[in-house]
Amino acid sequence: MDFKDYYELLGVAPESDNKTIKTAYRKLARKYHPDMNPEKGAEEKFKEVAEAYEVLKDTQRRAEYDELRQYSNQPDTGFEPPPGWQTNNGFSGTESTHFESDFSEFFNSMFSGNGANSTQQSRQFRGQDAEIEMPVFLEEAASETSKLVEYQIPVYEDGQVKEVKKSLKVKIPAGIADGERIRLKGQGGYGQGDAPHGDLYLHIRLVPHPMFDVEGHNLVITVPLAPWEAALGAKVTIPTLTGKINLTIAANSRAGQRLRIKGKGMRTKTGSGDMFALLKIVMPPTTDDEVQMLWQSLSDKSKFNPRADWSN
Amino acid sequence: MAEIVMWVSVQELCQCGGFTEQIIIEAVDHGIAQPADGNNSADWRFDTAGAHWLRKAVRLHHDLEIDWIAISMVVDLLQKNESLKRQSLAFEQQLGRFIN
Repeated sequence: MDFKDYYELLGVAPESDNKTIKTAYRKLARKYHPDMNPEKGAEEKFKEVAEAYEVLKDTQRRAEYDELRQYSNQPDTGFEPPPGWQTNNGFSGTESTHFESDFSEFFNSMFSGNGANSTQQSRQFRGQDAEIEMPVFLEEAASETSKLVEYQIPVYEDGQVKEVKKSLKVKIPAGIADGERIRLKGQGGYGQGDAPHGDLYLHIRLVPHPMFDVEGHNLVITVPLAPWEAALGAKVTIPTLTGKINLTIAANSRAGQRLRIKGKGMRTKTGSGDMFALLKIVMPPTTDDEVQMLWQSLSDKSKFNPRADWSN
Repeated sequence: MAEIVMWVSVQELCQCGGFTEQIIIEAVDHGIAQPADGNNSADWRFDTAGAHWLRKAVRLHHDLEIDWIAISMVVDLLQKNESLKRQSLAFEQQLGRFIN
C-alpha cells in the first residue's frame, strides 16, 4: 500500500491552517469536480483531493494522520500502519456521508476500521451506481429492441480492487428518446458484505443517422431539389423509418421550406411524432451548352432580383 | 433479460451515499427535481432523469460545500448548458446537410 501525502495532494504546507486547507480544496474541487469537468482523469483527481480534505479538515483525524505521516519516510517497499496503531475517529457521525466508500485503500486502512489492530466495525456500503452510454440506432428506437450491454465494474476483494466483466441482455422500450436513462436494478457495483448492489444506468444516445435529424419526437429529412423541380413542382419519393412515401412538392417552393408529414416521426409512448421534409435547392455540377442557353434565356426574360432588399 | 425500471423511490435514494429524506425534500423545495408521483415525501418516486439531477445536486452539496440556492442555480445552468450543447450539435449537423 502506498502512503498518500494529503498535504502534497492539496498543494499546501503541512503546517497550513484550516482556512488555507479549505481554500486549496475548494479551488481544486471546482477544477476537478466530475460534474463540472468532464475530462478524462478529472474524477480520479477529484477523489484524491476529496479524500485529502476529508482527513485534513478534521482536527482529530488530521492529528492522527500527522502521527502516521512520520512513518511514511521509511525506506521500504510500501506503507503499513505502525504496530498497535488504531484510530479513535471512525466514520460514525452524521456529518460525513457515505462518499468515503470511494476512498483509497490507504484511507480505509487508516480510518474505517480495517487497520491491523483496529476494533472499529467496518461500515457496510451499498454498491455504487454506475452509468454507461448506450448507443441506439433510430431504427432500433422505432420499435422495442433488445441489446447486449457489456461493461466492467470494480469489485473489492481482500482489500484489492478487481475489474469484473459483465454482460446483460436489455429490452429497450420503443420510443426511447436521446438522453433518457434506463435503470437496471442491482446491476451496478457490488455492495460490501451483505449490503445491496448498486444500480446500472444506461444513458441513451441516439446514433446520428445518415439521412434523418431528430428534433424531439420529430424527424427532419433534407430533400434536395433541382431548381426546375422547385419552380415547377414535383413528386419525390422520400425514405422514412418504416418505408418509402411519395411527397408532392408544390410549384414555386423555396429552399428552407418545411413540409409536414404527419405521424412519420419517432415513436413516442403515446403515439408518433411527425416528419418534416426540409427543402434544399441544388445546382447540377456541370451543364452542357444547350442547358446553359436555357439558363441564359431565363435570365433575359426574368425580372427577378434576389437582392432587392439590399437597395432599401 | 435484465429488468428495466424507469423510476427511483425515496427509500432507494436513501440507500445511496449522502441521501436522507430531509436532503431530498430540500432539493425538491429548491426545484432541482420534481417527484413523478407520491403524495407525501416518504412515498415520492422520481423518474430516472430526476434521480440523476438529485444525485448530482447531493454530490455538489457535499463536495463543494455550497448551499441549496447555489446548487439549484448550478443545476439549472448545467441543464441549460447540456440542452444548448445538444441543440448546437443538431443545428451543426442540419446546416451541414443543407449547405453541402
